Amino acid sequence: MSGIEAFSPKGMLHEGWSAQVDDYAIVCGWALQGKTFLVGDVAGGLSAFEGKSGKLIWQSKDIHKGGLLAMSIHPDGNTFATAGQDGHVCIWESKEGKSTKNLELGKGWVEHIKWSQDGKFLAVVFTKYVYVFDENGQEHWRSEEHPSTVSAISWSNSNELATACYGQVTFFDVVNDNINQKLEWRGSLVSMVLSPNGDIVACGSQDNSVHFWRRSTDQDSEMTGYPGKPSHLAFDQTGTVLATGGSDRVTVWSFQGDGPEGTVPGELILHTEPISCLAFSHSGMLLASGARDGSVFSWFLQKDGQGDPVGGAFAGDLVSQIAWHPDDTALAAINANGGITVWEFKVRTKTPAQGFG
Amino acid sequence: MSNTQKVPVTILTGFLGSGKTTLLNRILSEEHGKKIAVIENEYGEVGIDQGLVINADEEVFEMSNGCICCTVRGDLIRVLGNLMKRRDKFDYVLVETTGLADPGPVAQTFFMDDEIREEFSLDGIVTLVDAAHIEQQLGRSDESSEQVAFADVLVLNKTDLVSDESLDNLESRLRDMNRMARVIRSKQADVSIDTVLNLSAFDLDQVLQRRPTFLEPEYPFEWTGVFSLEKGRYELTLEEGPDPTMSLVQLLDQGKNETALNTGAESCVRLYAEQEQLMNPGDLVPVGKHVSLQLQSEGTKSFFIDVDKARDIGLFTQHTAEEFNMKLTKVNTPSTDEIDNDQNISTISPIAERVWVAEHEHDDEVGSFAIEREGDVDPEKLNRWLSRLLSEKGVDIFRTKGFISYAGESRRIVFQGVHMLFTAQPDKEWGNEPRRNQLVFIGRNLDKAEMSKEFDKCLV
Repeated sequence: MSGIEAFSPKGMLHEGWSAQVDDYAIVCGWALQGKTFLVGDVAGGLSAFEGKSGKLIWQSKDIHKGGLLAMSIHPDGNTFATAGQDGHVCIWESKEGKSTKNLELGKGWVEHIKWSQDGKFLAVVFTKYVYVFDENGQEHWRSEEHPSTVSAISWSNSNELATACYGQVTFFDVVNDNINQKLEWRGSLVSMVLSPNGDIVACGSQDNSVHFWRRSTDQDSEMTGYPGKPSHLAFDQTGTVLATGGSDRVTVWSFQGDGPEGTVPGELILHTEPISCLAFSHSGMLLASGARDGSVFSWFLQKDGQGDPVGGAFAGDLVSQIAWHPDDTALAAINANGGITVWEFKVRTKTPAQGFG
Repeated sequence: MSNTQKVPVTILTGFLGSGKTTLLNRILSEEHGKKIAVIENEYGEVGIDQGLVINADEEVFEMSNGCICCTVRGDLIRVLGNLMKRRDKFDYVLVETTGLADPGPVAQTFFMDDEIREEFSLDGIVTLVDAAHIEQQLGRSDESSEQVAFADVLVLNKTDLVSDESLDNLESRLRDMNRMARVIRSKQADVSIDTVLNLSAFDLDQVLQRRPTFLEPEYPFEWTGVFSLEKGRYELTLEEGPDPTMSLVQLLDQGKNETALNTGAESCVRLYAEQEQLMNPGDLVPVGKHVSLQLQSEGTKSFFIDVDKARDIGLFTQHTAEEFNMKLTKVNTPSTDEIDNDQNISTISPIAERVWVAEHEHDDEVGSFAIEREGDVDPEKLNRWLSRLLSEKGVDIFRTKGFISYAGESRRIVFQGVHMLFTAQPDKEWGNEPRRNQLVFIGRNLDKAEMSKEFDKCLV
């Protein structure tokens, strides 16, 4: 299994706290401006920990019959939503874990939910349909049936929602009920991420490639040669670099100048097994990556996609999700064994340190 | 840490009404101690009452390269991807597909997707066949032929609605299409669970253990009896049977061990190819000649065999002796005891009997055949040939299985494929076993002669 020995956090990652939930931890995120760390497990357990100390604040069990699949924390951090195999979407307040709303969509899995950037809408994927609810849980909009199960969603702005499914990415204006754009490509799209300005759409595909489109110029490109499926993608906050999984190294494409077409990507090589999650810090060019071997690394990237490790730690098992604290002073990782680890991240000055501190 | 044992998956396929749901419910309600997850197509026939049941649309995803072997089932990848996060909840998966689904992409998913391959192993493909309706379906739809072709186990269900004779015909037709599969008959999907779960069908050794004769050559005769006879005249009697005529060859000095039977069979194949002599009841059966017994008349028919000295004779017959209640008795001459004249007519039992895999005439496009050769193959030549064959004909080759003896390799190489996907790996040591090669192909309009010739060119 893991080809990596356990080791203490190194570089800019420092001992923080750790905790344990009952089952495979599948979703996590910071709420209440980083005061609370939320974790959901596959069995439908939901736990809230104090962000600084790791002390358990509240816990719920079996919140979705059949299993929990997704979580999205409202931009203001005071509420969040969960979804599961029971076809329900639950809205909760973060402080005490009280459920405030339960939406029943039907018999089927709800695998993706996402609050819009301004927090006015919650987008919900139910099989081949996408619903948009307002903050009060009222249905605001519903898509036509997609040709196949929707595999990813992302808000390009507060009124426009992108959906990916087999063969196409579609941009919906959910306020005026229009299709703004449809990008077609014959392939099974398994992941999608948008650049912060919404112009670049990148999708990982079942055929081990990353396909991307520039909406403004209609140019599209395909990056092939990945040994596995690029199920994990992340853009930095400036939209300059795109980090991709699909192997045991992080491949970073740079959109500087005429790139990434015709350029050689940066490669971040330290993990020993395939990448299982990626997350950029809220500011600066810091990337955190987790892998199936249980290793977590943080990297400082340059605009050309090259990068150096600035911290490393071992999370014990396949890292299922990774989340930067809202002010980037901590990094949290959850794993397949229900393990939770939060490291303090050395506070950075204006000029980030490079290499191991 | 996660354990490395892969979760076995059985694919259950068959047309609407063939009894899949009945079978699923039987499996789920039986005390087998397994925790089974069922992935059911959205249009499940009736509800399934127990176990972890997940509905999934059958979403077949082709890739932009257009290669059919890259076609996978997106829904399975999604659902299994989530299931593997819940390993403690189940230890077996059943995937039900509709009769209209192409089994190819389902099987390919377990070869093509890294994450799925790491956690799950395809255990086998079970196809349910509605004995009363399959004949029409085979004539009408490619899907039904493909489901038969892909199967490791064929459950011939609802046999109570069909006569035994039709069942026999149907079974032989299905066997022609797929020689690898095990055929099981059932009335209401009442088959024992171990015939559909834990098949290890993709493990060739297991297959060979269960069906050591699955690669047997086909013969134009079904039965051989070896009789140890004294000098004298014998009567061969036949009752009503399935055919108005039956071919037969009589061989002298037929040995009863396996080698001798095979040698006899080989020489009979040649004799069967010759023009048959018609024999009417009462005629004397010649030695070493292809004869056709004329059985049109009613009641018992008798033919005679003369033996010049004590010796063993072999009778190679087109049908089994059982089918015509065929008996051999010594004809008493008046000089022998007259005390118990009547009771003395005792049937002579054969000292050896053998039922052969019979050849059938059929016109299904889908068929299967085996290539079996002794000796070693040149790995490079074989790879070149197989790569070319699978890239040109992969669409029409549904399944491939077998083992190969590579020159210079002390272990057997076992391989199997689905369409163009092909995996080969070293298996056990040859040791003292004679080195040989067996390949089985199941597909549409395959040219056996051509493929055998091509394979022979790969031999060292």
